[in-house]
Amino acid sequence: MTTLEVRGLTKDFSIRSGLRHSRLRAVDNVSLTLTPGRTVALVGESGSGKSTVARMIARLEKPTAGEITATGPDGRRVADRAYRDHVQMVFQDPFASLNPFHTVEHHLARPLKLHGRARGKAEVAQKVEQLLERVNLSPAADIAQRRPHELSGGMRQRVAIARALAPGAQVVIADEPVSMLDVSIRLGVLNLLARLQREDDLAVLYITHDLATARHFSDDILVMYRGRVVERGPADEVILNPQHPYTRILAAAAPDPDVRDRARLTEATGIEPAGNSALPGDDPGCTFRDRCPEAFEACARMPEDFAVGYDHYAKCWLRSGAGSAGRPAAGGNATA
Amino acid sequence: MTNIDPPAEAAEAAPDTPAGTIGASPASRRSGAGGWRSLVPRWSPKLGIGLSLVGAIALFGILGPVLTGDPDTIRDISMTPPGGEFWLGTTQTGQDVLALLAHSTRGSLQIGLLVGVLATLLSAVFGVIGGYVGGAVDEGFSLFSNVMLVIPGLPLVIVIAGFVPVEQRGWWTIAVVLAITGWAASARVLRAQTLSLRNRDYVAAAKVAGEKPWRIVSVEILPNLLPLMASQFVFAVILAILSEAGLSFLGLGASGSDTLGTMLYYAQNGFALQREAWWWFGPPGLVIALFGCGLSLINFSIDEIINPKLRTVPAAARRTRGRTGGAEREGRSAAARSVPGRGEPGRRESGRDAVLTVENLNVVYRGEKPVHAVKDVSLTLGRGEILGLAGESGCGKTTLAYAINRLHRPPAEVTSGSVVFHDRDGSDLDLLALGREDLRAFRWSKLSMVFQGAMNALNPVISVRAQLEDVLTTHRPEMSARARRERCAEVLRLVGVDPRRLDSFPHELSGGMRQRVMIAMALLLDPQVMIMDEPTTALDVVVQRGILREILRFREELGFAVVFITHDLPLLLELSDRIAVMREGEVVEYATADEIHRAPRHPYTRRLLDSFPSLTGERGAFIRTGESSARERPGSGSGAGTGTKTIVKEAGSR
Amino acid sequence: MRYYARKLGFYLVALWAALTLNFFIPRMMPGNPVDTLMAKLQQRGGATDPSVRRSYELLLGTDTGEPLVVQYLSYLANMFRGDLGVSVSVFPAEVATVIGDALPWTIVLVGLATALSFLLGVGLGALVGWKRGSWLDSLIPATTVLAAVPYFWLALILVAIFATGLSWFPLNGGYDVILTPGWDGEFIASAVYHGILPALTIVISSVGGWLLGMRNMMVSTVSEDYILTAQAKGLRDRRIMTRYAARNAVLPSVAGFAISLGFVVSGSVITEQVFSYPGIGSRLLQAVENNDYALMQGIFLVITVAVLGANLVVDLLYGLIDPRTRAGN
Repeated sequence: MTTLEVRGLTKDFSIRSGLRHSRLRAVDNVSLTLTPGRTVALVGESGSGKSTVARMIARLEKPTAGEITATGPDGRRVADRAYRDHVQMVFQDPFASLNPFHTVEHHLARPLKLHGRARGKAEVAQKVEQLLERVNLSPAADIAQRRPHELSGGMRQRVAIARALAPGAQVVIADEPVSMLDVSIRLGVLNLLARLQREDDLAVLYITHDLATARHFSDDILVMYRGRVVERGPADEVILNPQHPYTRILAAAAPDPDVRDRARLTEATGIEPAGNSALPGDDPGCTFRDRCPEAFEACARMPEDFAVGYDHYAKCWLRSGAGSAGRPAAGGNATA
Repeated sequence: MTNIDPPAEAAEAAPDTPAGTIGASPASRRSGAGGWRSLVPRWSPKLGIGLSLVGAIALFGILGPVLTGDPDTIRDISMTPPGGEFWLGTTQTGQDVLALLAHSTRGSLQIGLLVGVLATLLSAVFGVIGGYVGGAVDEGFSLFSNVMLVIPGLPLVIVIAGFVPVEQRGWWTIAVVLAITGWAASARVLRAQTLSLRNRDYVAAAKVAGEKPWRIVSVEILPNLLPLMASQFVFAVILAILSEAGLSFLGLGASGSDTLGTMLYYAQNGFALQREAWWWFGPPGLVIALFGCGLSLINFSIDEIINPKLRTVPAAARRTRGRTGGAEREGRSAAARSVPGRGEPGRRESGRDAVLTVENLNVVYRGEKPVHAVKDVSLTLGRGEILGLAGESGCGKTTLAYAINRLHRPPAEVTSGSVVFHDRDGSDLDLLALGREDLRAFRWSKLSMVFQGAMNALNPVISVRAQLEDVLTTHRPEMSARARRERCAEVLRLVGVDPRRLDSFPHELSGGMRQRVMIAMALLLDPQVMIMDEPTTALDVVVQRGILREILRFREELGFAVVFITHDLPLLLELSDRIAVMREGEVVEYATADEIHRAPRHPYTRRLLDSFPSLTGERGAFIRTGESSARERPGSGSGAGTGTKTIVKEAGSR
Repeated sequence: MRYYARKLGFYLVALWAALTLNFFIPRMMPGNPVDTLMAKLQQRGGATDPSVRRSYELLLGTDTGEPLVVQYLSYLANMFRGDLGVSVSVFPAEVATVIGDALPWTIVLVGLATALSFLLGVGLGALVGWKRGSWLDSLIPATTVLAAVPYFWLALILVAIFATGLSWFPLNGGYDVILTPGWDGEFIASAVYHGILPALTIVISSVGGWLLGMRNMMVSTVSEDYILTAQAKGLRDRRIMTRYAARNAVLPSVAGFAISLGFVVSGSVITEQVFSYPGIGSRLLQAVENNDYALMQGIFLVITVAVLGANLVVDLLYGLIDPRTRAGN
């Protein structure tokens, strides 16, 4: 079983304006651990850096700093050469992640061959069909010969999941795997991922902006805001008892079919982002303080992760004295 | 798919129906294009003419020299007009023009082909490799090709040709020089396309799968570039033949080989035109023009592969041209007629006066396989009401919204039904019968719209102020410039945007701000109805919440009614008074938000509701430890149970 | 600002590239270039006395034995001083003077013809694209024939019909030879009269390209969301067409001006030859015929600089009409 350890992951993008180069820190010191059979959700709005984390783990981007280590079933560090045997990714848009020119078979046969999972025509064909059946695409032989545009969005995403499994990967990075799909098939695809995870004991990183599926689909949640993980903890804890002001605003803003209350809509929920950040790129303090309704002097300094509950941390000065018991959540009305 | 315009929505509907997927009929499989088949242009008369022109001339160039005699034979029959033994007459020195033409055509084609191949190879090397590798290599390559592009080709070629002694100027020398000066434009095009393909997810996916770079370029990227390269190749051939003709005409062409250019050179020096020997001078130019024309016509068909928007509009839809809809026939007279007997039941619904009544509306996308996108939809929008229209992609909700304002475009067509607007002053407007000018005046002043992609809904090249003022200058011509400015600032303040933003351009605003500007624009004329098509889908939840709050506030303060379209049913439950759930063109359930929340009646409504797990409550349909096979059959995009028709009718007639 | 700085930098690089190309072309020719040129001159029965040989050696720098780098630098220095050498064919006139006499003719003719064909092509293209599906579509195949017609062929046929046959226009030349060039009405009228046919040739054969490009962009633009918004706003059709559709659709045509201008200039060189127009294109060909290499290179440079300049102006203009470029991304 493969475990993935991420330590201090940081990514700077350089932005040219005029003749000067400035750096934008897209991801700042993110650490997380993916273990077999467990799902970690990385939650945040667009621009929070969550997809950059995914792309770095999938080795599509080079980290500016930090380490990503995969440990194989034998307890030894996976060599760079073999990294892709262990870590695979499912992309957000199934309309873009499959090459319109090639058949479904091509998309699955290539990784099978590249990673030595199958040799010879017959074996490849057989493995392709097996993969398709595992993601509930049948008749597999027929589907294999189709091209992406002949499949619906849900079917395409299933093919994309099968492709991630083809090299026999144990760690799957799912970057918003259902946000481009029709609502009525989203849960089906997530359930499929969950089943595959159970069967293969996969370690899954689920990247999403949707708090509700993050809560139900994952064991742990990391909330990202402007490149930093501002809150982390067990899924139910983070959603039902959010400790960071940002998490509270997020939770309050999400429509919830169970809490149908128009009054909720009219009450103020937080300050909208004013386009680009009002804070300079190299601001030393809390990145949320320009939007935070509870900001105070201490926020000009960078807060650390304060424990607010069992395995539950918030990067906020308000929680500095909270200890393990935590303060009664201000967003407690959400549980009512 | 969040960004769907109506035709795409209809196209999407077909593959998503269960029948269209599993056990697919051969017809539906063949209809789409993919793989090598996608590279074959669609048949059209233009393509036919182009292919026959090019084919005929190529054949003439290949076989002609064999069938005709030696062009260099000199006879003492100078300048005989066409006819008899010499179909195209003879030259000054009695040479057979037809034989000359055949040999020259061959020579020109040879050069054209060689230049085409060389230039395409060069442009592929510089464009594709530069575009894929990126970084300094790309900067260097693209600088080089841009410099080559702005240095005028022919003067350069003339200078080079001037230096090369005549005896060393073979046809291939000329071809190489033309290729070197002619590849840059297509390298630029290929680079741009490669840059866009390089960032596609399927390239990223191939990297994650562990493919080698050369394989990504050759197997994943190159096939998708082929149509573009073909079109660039065709351009290069035309350009080469034209340039060679020009050079030869100037006496700087290939020595010792026959081309159409040298033929023209000799014709000109033999005073062919002055002596009215049109048969000598005319044909070579005509062959070049026709060959070029044939290639351009072929290129049209290739362009249609590259940019599907260029495809010909189906003949059936041509007459109506969308904006006018299918209702022009009824003319202006019907515009303001009252609609007796129709409005009455609608007007009383949910204790409000109706402001908009839609009855039995049907919209069909014409085409080989017509798609019935909106089926018999009846809705009533009360004054000041928020009506939610829920459904998934392809359900027809957007088509319905557009049809209300007759914004649907061909091939969409309203086949039957009525849309009646009940004005504040008591008069009724039959929107489907409104004349062109009346419809234009009606739009925005009584009914305004907010579209999904605010980025794309605002004109990128004119300022926010100009786009707002456009509405006022058109609908309120009597307003002074000062009053217009004040009104624009006022609506921006209403939606919480600093009026200084009036001078901004859309790209300078964040997504949320753009959507607020759109809403401000929709408020300008104080409309009675606002149709909002997924206004918050592309936005983050916090921003979405802020915008929803504003919408509610305006509804209270300004009293307009809202049709709010979204796939997000929980959002509608919070926001709207009544909700219509649409599926495959039909309204399957139409009830108050409260009813739908408490007791959804249609299985599809329940299914939609179940698709949104509760944030704070139980998991509901979400069964993480096992797959809920009952809910989602593989492959069926939106296949809920059948036998729902009865409830449809029941819901619709309520 | 960044956009403008980049553009300026690019054109400086392009200028440098053209200068360098100009320097190296004769030096890249096989064999001893002076011998080759002398041989060519001899073939044509030209004078082969040592003074001519000397002037070629000076031009090509084969006599001094100086390293290439030194030659190159002194060449660049000469260019910046505007010293293009002495013309052999119009001896002892300076190349710069010869070019200076011819340049205004070409600039006015090509400039006006290009502007006219651009406006005409873009205007018609916008209309054809907007009214897609109407009879206007049938214009398109016709324009492709025009675009594929060789310039000089068309020019000669026009001359045969309108000058020789109907005698509506003069056969050739830039003005009536009995007049002395000057800024008087008679001369200008004569110049305009002589310019119509060449200009017409250029317009006819280049309008198709603009038209087609604009039409295709227009068709793509019409399906954009902001056109739908404009329609929903109840704006008048004409306004939507001009301010919303054409305004956006014209951008690629303007951006692609460089490509097209190269074609037009190339074509006009030949057109001038056909009409014996006293412009720079005819001069270039005369120089080639007379083996006047200094003049040849000088003209090539001037044409290049003119094209670069025109493109720079268009690029700067583009920055004005597309606000997005000013953002610098």
